[in-house]
Parts: sequence; C-alpha cells; structure tokens
Amino acid sequence: MSQQQAQPLAGTTIVAVEHVNLDYHKEREPLPVLVDVSMTAKRDELVAITGPSGCGKSTLLRIVAGLIRPSAGKVMVLGSEVKGPRADVSMVFQNFVLLPWRTALENVLFGLSPRKDLTEEQKREKAKAALEVAGLSGFEDVYPGELSGGMKQRVGVARALATEPRVMLLDEPFSSLDDLTAERLRKETYTLLINPQTSVQSVILVSHNVEEIIELADKVVVLSGRPARVVGEVEVKMPRPRNKKSEEFFQWVDKVYTLLS
Amino acid sequence: MILALGLSIIFALIVGIWAARSKKAESVILPLLDIFQSVPVLGFFPFVIAAVYGVFPDFIGANLAVIILIFTSMSWNIAFGVYEAVKAIPQDYFDLLDVARAGTWQRIRSIYIPASMSRVAYNTQISWAVGLFFLVASEIISLGTKNVPIQYGIGVAVEQFTGPPFEYGNYVLLVVGIIGAVIVWRFLFLREFALWSERFKMMEEPRETHRDPIMRAYSWVSARSVSKLFLLTQGRGVTRFTSAISRFSRGLKYAVAIFAAIFLGLILVAAASSGTLYLGAIPSLQSMAATESSVLVALAYSFVRVWYVVAICIAVGLPMGVAISLNFKLYDTVSPLLEVISSIPAPILLPLIVLIPVIGHEPEAVAGIVIFLSIFWYIVFNVMAGVRTIPGDLKDLPHVFGVGRLSAWRNVYVPSALAALVTGAITAVGGAWNALIIAEYFQPNPSQGPITQVGIGIGKTITIATDSGNLEVLFFAVVSMTILIVAFNLTVWRRLYHNVTKRYTYNR
Repeated sequence: MSQQQAQPLAGTTIVAVEHVNLDYHKEREPLPVLVDVSMTAKRDELVAITGPSGCGKSTLLRIVAGLIRPSAGKVMVLGSEVKGPRADVSMVFQNFVLLPWRTALENVLFGLSPRKDLTEEQKREKAKAALEVAGLSGFEDVYPGELSGGMKQRVGVARALATEPRVMLLDEPFSSLDDLTAERLRKETYTLLINPQTSVQSVILVSHNVEEIIELADKVVVLSGRPARVVGEVEVKMPRPRNKKSEEFFQWVDKVYTLLS
Repeated sequence: MILALGLSIIFALIVGIWAARSKKAESVILPLLDIFQSVPVLGFFPFVIAAVYGVFPDFIGANLAVIILIFTSMSWNIAFGVYEAVKAIPQDYFDLLDVARAGTWQRIRSIYIPASMSRVAYNTQISWAVGLFFLVASEIISLGTKNVPIQYGIGVAVEQFTGPPFEYGNYVLLVVGIIGAVIVWRFLFLREFALWSERFKMMEEPRETHRDPIMRAYSWVSARSVSKLFLLTQGRGVTRFTSAISRFSRGLKYAVAIFAAIFLGLILVAAASSGTLYLGAIPSLQSMAATESSVLVALAYSFVRVWYVVAICIAVGLPMGVAISLNFKLYDTVSPLLEVISSIPAPILLPLIVLIPVIGHEPEAVAGIVIFLSIFWYIVFNVMAGVRTIPGDLKDLPHVFGVGRLSAWRNVYVPSALAALVTGAITAVGGAWNALIIAEYFQPNPSQGPITQVGIGIGKTITIATDSGNLEVLFFAVVSMTILIVAFNLTVWRRLYHNVTKRYTYNR
C-alpha cells in the first residue's frame, strides 16, 4: 500500500494518480492534454472527476484503466504501477459497449473469459449471480437489442462486477440514459458498489453532471479546460442518503460550480 | 471516359432527384436501378454494340457503344447517391422552398443539386474504378467483335501490345502509365472534387468520434483518406438498394417490365441492323431447348467458379481487413497502396498472368486470379470500413477485461465486420459475374486465337457467341444469367443481409 501522505480522514489509498501528463502530437506540435494531474481514491471512497466537456476526464480514466500510457507520471493501484489493463480494475462505459451478437449472460461471460482459475460452470454461476445483483435475473438469454437503455447499462455493470475488481471505473455511466432511468440506477449504484459484500474498494466516476456527482461522490476532483489541470478538490461531507432538494445539497453543488467556472 | 462520366452525373441527377421527390417514380426507379446495377453489364454489351453499330456503322457508333457501356457501369451508383442525398434533405428546407414559392428549376438549382454534390463526388470515385474496368474490357470486346475502328484507348493499347508479338517494353510502359494516371486522377482530381463538395454538406455527418485525443487525431487523418470514401459509399449503396426493392415490391413489376422492354428493344435493333430480322430467323423450339440446356450447364460451371473465388476472397480479405483496420499505422500505410492496386483494371494484367509459369497455362487458375483481382477489393475495403466504424470503446473492451486475442477476434472484431462483409460480398459477386466475361475467355486479337480459355463457362459462351454473332445463344445466355443473378439477389442476399444487419450491427 502506498503511504504517501498521512491523510487522517479515510483508510488506505487504493488508487494514486501521480503527476500524470499526457501530450498528443498533431502536426508535430506536442499538444498537452493533461498537465500534472494528481489525485487519490481511498478505501470505500467514490471519487468523481469532473470538468468542462472535452477536457480529458475520460482520457484520465483510461489512463487509470491502463488503456492509455501517460507521457509522464504514473498511476498506482494497490501499490503497484499500472502498466496496462489489469484484472483488478474494471470499467463501465457511457455507451454500454455490449456485444449485440451475444446474450446478456454471454456478455457477462465475455468479461470473465480470461479467468483460467474458474471452470465454465463456475463462470456461468458467477455471471448469473452478477446479473441478479444488477437486477436482471430472468434476462440472461435476452440480446442487448431487446433491452432498454437502463437494462443495457445494468448488463454493463454486471459484466464489470463479475470480474470482482478492486477498482471500478465509471465513465459517464448514466448520461446516455433518460432522466428517470438514470435517477433509479444512480440510487442503486452506490449501494451496489460500496458495501461490505463486494470486492470493490474504490470507485472513480467521470461525469459532467454536478448534481449527480454531489449525490454520489465522497470527493470531487475538478479539472480545468484544455489542457486539463486539477483546479480543486471538494470533499463532500454530507451524510447519506442525500436529499437532492435540501439547502445543503445546493450549497455543495454551488461549490463545485464555482470551481468549474 | 470523361464524356461518359459527365453523362452519368447528369443522368444520375435527373433520375435521382425524380425518384426522391415523387413517390410513384420512386417505386419504379429504385427497383429498376437495382436490376441494372446487379445485372452484368458486359453481358449486354454485345447487344449494345450490335444495336448502336447498326445505326451508326462507323467510328462514331463504336465509340458511342463504348461510352454507353461505361455510362451504364457508372451511373446507377451515382443515381442512388443523389437519391439518398435528396431524400436526406430536412423537411425544413422544403418548407422554405414552399414559403419562397420557388419554381421547379429554382428548387433543383438552389437545393437539390448542392445537396447531392458531396454524394456525387464520393460515388464518382467508385464509379471511376468500375468504369475503368469496363473501359478496358469494352474496347477489347468491341475490337474482337467487329474490328471496329476505335483508334485510341487503353483497351486498344492493351490489345496491340499483348497480341503476339508480345511487346514487353510497351506493355510495361502502358501498365506504369495507367497506374500513374490512376494516381493523378484519383488523388488529385477526384479527391479535390470530394473535398470541394464538402462545403455543400447539409449537416455535420456523424464522424468517427473518439473522446481520446490521440485517436481523434488518427481518425482525422483517416477520415480524409480516399479509401474511406470508396468503401463507405460502395457498400452502403448496394445494401440500401436491396432493401429498397423490398419496400417497393409493388413497383418491382413495372421495373422488370421496363427492363425487359429495354432489353427486347435492344435486341430488335441489333437484329434489324445485322439483317437477321425475318421470321425464318426465329429458331425452332428444339434448338432453343438445346441452347438453353447448354447455357444452363455453362451457368452452373460459372456459378461454382464465382463462388469459390468469392470464398477465397472472404477467407483472405476478412482477416486482412480486420488486421489492417485495427492497427492505425498499418492502415495509414497500406490503404493508399491498396487503393492504387485496386484501381488497376484486372483485364490489363491478364496478359501478364498468362505468362506466370505453370499457373499461367492453367486456364482455370488464370480465370480465378482475374476474378479475384476484380473483386477482392470490395471485400477488403468493406471489411476495413466496417472495423473502422467500431467505436473506440468497443475496440478497448477486450483490453479492459484482459480477453485473449483469439477470443477478441471471435467475439468482437469479426462479428462487428460481418454486416460490412455481406455488403462487400454482394458487390463482389456482382463484379465476379462481370469479370467472368474477360476471365473465362480472353481473345484480344481474333486472328491469334484466345490467350486463355476455360473448358465450360457462361462468360466463354457469351464471348464466343458475341464474336460469331450468334444472337440465339447470346440471348439465352444473357437472359438466364440475369434471371439467376436477380433471383439470387431477391432471395438469398436479401434475407442474409437482413439477418446479419439485424444482429451484427453495433447500435449503442
């Protein structure tokens, strides 16, 4: 475990992003995308990353996932450096990214397919259990095309959960859903991911929806526009369940908006 | 060639706009275009030559016939482009025209034509490649038939240099020249045309959008490569026609009738001009039955030939296309190369193929190679396009979950290319039937005999019948082939396409 700072508030650091820079090259000019970004996610924390659209939030998440290598700096997960995609980090995508030619169960199984330690039978059991947890029992043999957006995202969550990750990355998971569906799924997500039963120890959520962030996050990392730097962090010290209509809620929302603008 | 292209564009604008703006015209024109598009143009060429040459028995007639043929090979595709573009104009614009009380001509000039421009430009690039193939083929065929005085042309040059004595120097020069011309034409002229037409775009077309800036930079580059244009339109077109037919099955009857009328008219003119139009010339039933049965046998042979080559193309093109498209660097280097190779008309290379030791003396192999070279590109480019349109997230998916390469191909990459593959295969099979006519029997110089010929095949039957002016055989061969192809399109392809797109299309 990393023992960088002795922050008194929470437990051990699960994810540490350390001075990450990312440039990309367009017509030979290096164009900075991320500049010296550092942040941490601790045990049982849900950390939200937000910022103006196109600033590189999702890019940062992909660096944590090991899909993109940073130009400088590093990401540590559970004390070891991220050098590529890894089994203890899983991800839920904005547009679900389900295989339309596979059933819901097969989609979850696809996520489990690299697990050599499990028999096919065990994988099926795990996949079914994950679908059930995500509220999809009875839909195992349905193709994604026949599912509503909300249910598709539930398959996406089940697929990510089934692999028993320590770190769960959520990339705008609710933004392609209609308001009502998103509302319901948001409510379930927090308890689904952060509870003593799951393997998940930390969640990082990327979102541009400030109310969503205040509803879910323990900590908010606010990025600036291009190139993205961390302009501030907000610890949302508000008891759960959070009342979205309370005065206190709006004060937290305002706090993040102030940093954003 | 340019004349034919100009004609094609004008024709396409008229027909396309007409079909898009009139429900009645739409229901007849779409299936009609589809039939014309799927019928092997080369099969009809002999009739066109006979008819046109009968009316203008000189230099003009021969050139006219060639122009008509190239025109028929190019225009349907562009017409579909125009149709789709005009169809896609938002209703608001029509309301605007109504409010402004614009006249027909004003509507056409101010909205319809500009709106169609970008599709015309894209589809022109495809038509160009197709047209070049037919240009070479038709000049050769027309020469073979009548020794018609078309004095200048690529096809003429091919014949001159390859008919014994084989002039290596000139031949190599010719091939190099063609490649050069292709590069200049496609990369300078057509591409500029396409870029210029960009500004006529009605709305932002959905581009490949990657949130990741690195990928965005790459897609910026690849979006501007010609191959992308080539493949997108090619594939999209064909499939939409196939679905157009099902939507307009009512108009299909009329379309078939019109097509048959055009064909019969052509035969009558051909027969009249060659002086065989008298009652006694109508062959007896027995002879017709004999002709038809031999034609059917030839058709069966060719059917197998077409399909085994298509199968090889898929076996090679599918993995190749997927692999190229998954690797950005490979894509950027290989795709322009493929474009150049693909635009060399296969008939030009035929004399070279014949010279390959062992294989060159195996007519079946030569035919296979020529068909392969004519159609492989449809498959590979379509697969490439299919894989390119996979969203970045889907490409990442196997990595996120650490899925092995084999499983990633089987579950993600190959399935996501399937719809494009079927589209490409439909086009490829159409192209293969055309290529047969050159591939099965190639005789650039009548006095020298064929330089390659297979045992039995419909292409050979048609070519020989053309050369000997045997209208009876020609008639049965072409009609049987057409019926087979159209029936196959309406049944097998349509169903397959429907099923594959239903499941194997990635919609978020």
